[in-house]
Amino acid sequence: MDRRAFLDVVRRRLAGVAAPDLPSHLPPTFATGDGRLFDRFAAALDLAGGEAIHMRLDELSAQLAVRVAGCATAVVAPVVDHHEAILEGLARAGCRLLEPGRDGAAHADLGVTGAVLGVAATGSVLLAAAQGAPRTVGLLPPFHLVVLPEDRLVPGFEELFEQMSALAARSSNLVLVTGPSRTADIEMTLVRGVHGPERVTVLVVTA
Amino acid sequence: MTADPGTFEQRAHIGLQTPGLAAALGRAMDYRAVQRAQAFAGTDEPAVRAAGEAIRAHTVANLDHYLERFAENAAARGTKVFFAATAAEAVEYVLQVLRDHGAKLVVKGKSMVSEEIGLNPALGSADVEVIETDLGEYIVQLADETPAHITTPAVHKTRGQVRDLFNRAHGADLSDDPAELTRFARDVLREKFLAADVGITGVNFAVAETGSFTIVTNEGNVRMCTSLPRVHIALMGMERIVPSFRELSLMLPLLTASAAGLGVTAYVTFVNGPRQPEEPDGPDEVHVVVLDNGRSAILGGEFHSILHCIRCGACLNVCPVFRQVGGHAYGAVYGGPIGMVLAPLLDGFDAAGDLPHASSLCVACTEACPVNIPLHEHLLGLRREIARSRATRGERFAFAWWGRLWGNARTYRWSARLARIGQLPLVRRRRIRRAPFPLSRWTSARDMPALARGSFRERWRRMEGRGP
Repeated sequence: MDRRAFLDVVRRRLAGVAAPDLPSHLPPTFATGDGRLFDRFAAALDLAGGEAIHMRLDELSAQLAVRVAGCATAVVAPVVDHHEAILEGLARAGCRLLEPGRDGAAHADLGVTGAVLGVAATGSVLLAAAQGAPRTVGLLPPFHLVVLPEDRLVPGFEELFEQMSALAARSSNLVLVTGPSRTADIEMTLVRGVHGPERVTVLVVTA
Repeated sequence: MTADPGTFEQRAHIGLQTPGLAAALGRAMDYRAVQRAQAFAGTDEPAVRAAGEAIRAHTVANLDHYLERFAENAAARGTKVFFAATAAEAVEYVLQVLRDHGAKLVVKGKSMVSEEIGLNPALGSADVEVIETDLGEYIVQLADETPAHITTPAVHKTRGQVRDLFNRAHGADLSDDPAELTRFARDVLREKFLAADVGITGVNFAVAETGSFTIVTNEGNVRMCTSLPRVHIALMGMERIVPSFRELSLMLPLLTASAAGLGVTAYVTFVNGPRQPEEPDGPDEVHVVVLDNGRSAILGGEFHSILHCIRCGACLNVCPVFRQVGGHAYGAVYGGPIGMVLAPLLDGFDAAGDLPHASSLCVACTEACPVNIPLHEHLLGLRREIARSRATRGERFAFAWWGRLWGNARTYRWSARLARIGQLPLVRRRRIRRAPFPLSRWTSARDMPALARGSFRERWRRMEGRGP
């Protein structure tokens, strides 16, 4: 149906319907920040089944090597903060790099990405599709490792959504990721790792 | 949207006689209730709900304005927006997109609107393979059924039934361990994601300000559907919109807290348009189908606020009737209290006019609704409208006389005295357990207490003067 005709029907039906104003103040929810950053982020992510680890940049490669032990292959987003330290850590762990395209990601044990920001209240990271940041790297491998500079942590949803329209203008796809993929569709039994990664680790790095 | 055959009563009997169904539903719903309480703990729940209600009321009252802004902003980002007045228009549009791309395999995320427009049967008859990818929906599809709950489609299936379905469909030899079953489904569906031509999903909220839309999932199937195939088609009811991201900062936690509880879902996907030139992957085309299909007729009328619904399923989880009979008893796409109001309005009184009666009016649904929709009042209102549209001349005559008799104190007392005598042949131990038609419609399911020997007024008069 023509858009104008469709909206005209809606407009006619709504004639005379009183419209309240949008609330000027939004009350806090569980996703509202309280000023704490890393501690709250780690607690919320733990609750969602993921883990967050705080470290200095000079510890990154050694820490990363410990976390990814057992992964034979990895894909790394081409554009990511601390790229060199990440590659060094993967080399230390004996992890072979695959091409970060769809095929590589579909076969890798591990995907390493950055994140636009992290939300302390919910333990979430925001991934943005962008040049050098394929969607598949953080999606197809069973283990997703995120390297997040600490200054990108925001307290809660209010601060996240303040930035969303600017972020949306720059990327076709944003995903707020909170812990591993999960389901309770069979008898409400929690199972981790359905379609997305079953393990999510966020390395929060101070400079 | 076609109702299953039979009446609610007949379908409810199937649910009631299904061994273990009520117990399974009860466990699932209790679990949800605990999680919901935890998600709201430490917040001012009435204030959060009032804000949610105000956002929905404002948006729906200005729906034409926000839909227009959404369509313009989405088009500016390269998203193709189609307005479908009817289910048939929506289905035809989807089929046309599939034909344009020569699509053979479609992966689908959870979408109640796709159930509403009967998309899967239409695609099947057009020789397109459609795979439901939400685990619960996949189970329901293998069983050749429809979802039994808005957010937990396979809530009525036991692990043994799921094992049998998977083993039969894939010639596998799986145990009934949910983890093993889930892993198996993951492998089967992963192949489909990588091979699919088109992904189809629903929409939780569209954002007028930017032309974006958002979809929440826990499994990650929607990330696959919106990232891997060349084409993504999203289906949304026309009321599923917010003015800007600011409102989403409240509506999103409100939705996830009310639906499953305990924090935010594993994934919240924001689709802002098709892949941009410099991006390495993502769909080349994004389509949004905005569906009316009877919704505009609800706008501005007595039941207007039902369009504030955000499809969280909280009213199902607390409904004592739903917990006994299950989602299929409603014979409509949306079950439980929200379905009892929506189905008669969208499908007509002939198809779903018995649904508003499947409630004890205990008001649990209204108390649970995160955007304060007065569901029980809508149920009463619909009962009135349905009775008005259906009453025969005889019924109207009888009730008019009843009204006159009972509207007058003298004739009321006189009728009560007559009834006390008339009931005598039916009363056994102060109860009426069986009665001839039309009273048998009552006594077939429950007893009627016998009328007392005297009314309160009569006893009062006898006791007067005797003191307390």
